[in-house]
Amino acid sequence: MENTKKGFNFIEWFRKMWTEHPLFSTACALLLMAILQIIALGFDQATFGDWLSKYLRNWINILRNNATIGIIALGMTFVIITGGIDLAVGSTLVAIGAIIMLFIDGSDTGFLTAMGITGVPAYIIGIIMGLIAGLILGEFTGVLVTVGRIPPFIATLGMMKICRSVTQQCMQTINPSVPMPFTKIANLAIGRQMFMPIIYWLVIAFIMYWVSKHTAFGRHVFAVGSNERASKLSGINVNRVKRMVYAIMGLLVGVASVLQVSRIGAMDYANAGSGYEMDAIAAVIVGGTSMAGGRGSIGGTVLGVLIIAVMNNLLNLIGVPPFLREAFKGVIVIGAVLLQKKEKN
Amino acid sequence: MNLNMTGISKSFGANLVLDKVSFSLKSGEITALLGENGAGKSTLMNILGGVLPSDEGRIEIDGKPVVFTNPRESLDAGIAFIHQELNLINDLAIYENLFIGRELKGKWGILDKSAMIEKTKEVFERMGLSLNPEAMVRTLDASYKQIVEISRAMLMDARIVIMDEPTTSLTETEIKRVFSFMRSLKKAGVGIIFISHKLNEVMEICDSYTVLRDGHMISSGSISSVTSDDLAKMMVGHDVIEEKRSVHKHGDVIFSASGVSDESHFKDISFSVRKGEVVGFTGLLGDGRSELFLSIFGAGSKHTGTVELDGKAVTINSPWEAIDHGIGYVPRNRKENGIVKDLDILENGSLVTMKKRRKGLFLDQKRIEEDFQKEKRDLSIKMGDDSEPITSLSGGNQQKVVLAKWLSAGPRILILDNPTQGVDVGAKEEIYTIISSLADSGVSVIVLSSEAHEIVRTSSRCYVMYHGKILTELEGDELNEHEIMRWATGAAI
Repeated sequence: MENTKKGFNFIEWFRKMWTEHPLFSTACALLLMAILQIIALGFDQATFGDWLSKYLRNWINILRNNATIGIIALGMTFVIITGGIDLAVGSTLVAIGAIIMLFIDGSDTGFLTAMGITGVPAYIIGIIMGLIAGLILGEFTGVLVTVGRIPPFIATLGMMKICRSVTQQCMQTINPSVPMPFTKIANLAIGRQMFMPIIYWLVIAFIMYWVSKHTAFGRHVFAVGSNERASKLSGINVNRVKRMVYAIMGLLVGVASVLQVSRIGAMDYANAGSGYEMDAIAAVIVGGTSMAGGRGSIGGTVLGVLIIAVMNNLLNLIGVPPFLREAFKGVIVIGAVLLQKKEKN
Repeated sequence: MNLNMTGISKSFGANLVLDKVSFSLKSGEITALLGENGAGKSTLMNILGGVLPSDEGRIEIDGKPVVFTNPRESLDAGIAFIHQELNLINDLAIYENLFIGRELKGKWGILDKSAMIEKTKEVFERMGLSLNPEAMVRTLDASYKQIVEISRAMLMDARIVIMDEPTTSLTETEIKRVFSFMRSLKKAGVGIIFISHKLNEVMEICDSYTVLRDGHMISSGSISSVTSDDLAKMMVGHDVIEEKRSVHKHGDVIFSASGVSDESHFKDISFSVRKGEVVGFTGLLGDGRSELFLSIFGAGSKHTGTVELDGKAVTINSPWEAIDHGIGYVPRNRKENGIVKDLDILENGSLVTMKKRRKGLFLDQKRIEEDFQKEKRDLSIKMGDDSEPITSLSGGNQQKVVLAKWLSAGPRILILDNPTQGVDVGAKEEIYTIISSLADSGVSVIVLSSEAHEIVRTSSRCYVMYHGKILTELEGDELNEHEIMRWATGAAI
């Protein structure tokens, strides 16, 4: 008797959480993945110590490899909540990456080197230039969307083509190299593990969460996406909010670009970052943000990135052929939206 | 705060819409502003709300003359205009909506959430409301949304609230809730201008009234000195000329409904239509008639109950099934629902039949053009070339193209929702003539309209709806504007 009563309560609680908390179903999906992952890693009680360290290392790898997408997805969340979209992130990542590399280039051809600036000062200048470039590209997109009144899909599609193409042309004959110390930004080992990208990601996630919940700007992002007309009539500068959202997106792509250059130590201008826009959008959607705008959360996006990442890892562990993995990603995106509570109208 | 508006005049071009109208409101008074559509109510309130400047006249608050050149100044003077479409953001919490654009901030620009919640609670307490300030606006019903919007005005120390037809989309319990809220506002000394067509509500909640007709102030005074019948008469005027309408010979009942409900817009609807008959459906905004026929046509909400064609029950799940049954439907709001503005005149006029006019895989262009030429002649559509954009036509001719689209499908039953919306007087008469000749040729026409004279002019029988229910059926001598107004406004209940 006692047991059945307890079970009943659990189902009730579960249903309540499922319907009332938008993030609950997302968290459940992640938990399910993590459990499957434990099974896939071959849990064995006898060698628990070895198993645990393998398991933790696996997680650190997952988090580190997804930090770049994770940071981009944070900016994408804001963009999508306002009812917009940014397809250009993969290309701006490459453009910004090229700019950073020009500044930090340690070889004799580097123009900061020619001016006698090397080492840490050059790195700082490179990073600042990268972030500024990101801000400017984002702000420009925002101006296209607001002042130019171009639908975000089209404005960012254009930016996507422009940024990669121009970067490839400009970098045809220049081949800057990334100096060793710069790679420490992403690859500095603490203990024996390389935590840094994870720390950047989580710190930025926390800041973005705070902004979204506790600043007027953050709440205006939701207001604009939910009801643009009412927001305008309530005295919100709708265009400014939209411009800022794209500028923040650009800035975060700048951060992601610093990480990418530092982690890999080189950049393939033709292929780097391609598909990042879709991966970021997929994570945002899986995290419960509505494409129609007005609803979503930063926490959801972090979970969304993790779900896709853990699933990839899982498919890898159980030996699903690489070509099929994208299909699973597709299933997850569609399934997540099907599961999410839908409202009429 | 006492408000006095005297000698207000306003004209748009040569059209005088307000002629030396006076209006007053004392603090703690609820006054009804009454009048038919086009009587000048909105213009008067827009002048008070700073949306429009007046040509003549003065506005005084507590004896001091004021001039409002924009909505902001009016709001600063303590006048809040609550529009029909509410300006709330569904995805934010109540307190966030109250403070949007004027958020309270602490250090570093971080929102002072607790202070905002505290202030919201204070306002709610003052108004006797038990709402959780942190609840999402999305979860509120329509009456609470209205209350939240008014609370926002209270937070800005509004002393006069203009409510523009606040009850049209509300259920009866929700109306009660809004009324009790209005009473607590009244107790707090707030003056309320209540714009409504529902006279029974006016009798219940208001202290005084002002009736406008054709830009003139007809009467004003205390509610206790009039009956709702008196008010209905004042709104229509006494000089209504009954026009002769042609009486059609009716055949058998070919279209009927019994017990049709969708549980939210209309309940327990039963009616019947004979062959060659013009039947009107009328009521106020939000009476559910459009939703009813949209649902019967298969384009709206799902309904229960039976719909019969030629005595046989039919289920219609989509507009194309309805078309196959010989039902045509000219929707309201031509711009959104009637015309496809990126197609040309011919394409708009053949949209319904296009599917059936084919030669193998391709459109039978010749046949389509022939069909349209016939309708163009019959309806005397004034237009240039077939390939010109539909938007190059006047409203009346656009509406005729929409009619042509349906007539070329040869319907047995034609539903017309607000058929003369946005057309000029001449085209109106032409459309009435078309309706009459359609009925003569054996088509059953259902006319939905909120204009009583239009129903009287076109229909031989009419159903009056109120809050999703059919209140009465009017026929013969009873079918006149006064009677329709009496039922539609709920005065007859």
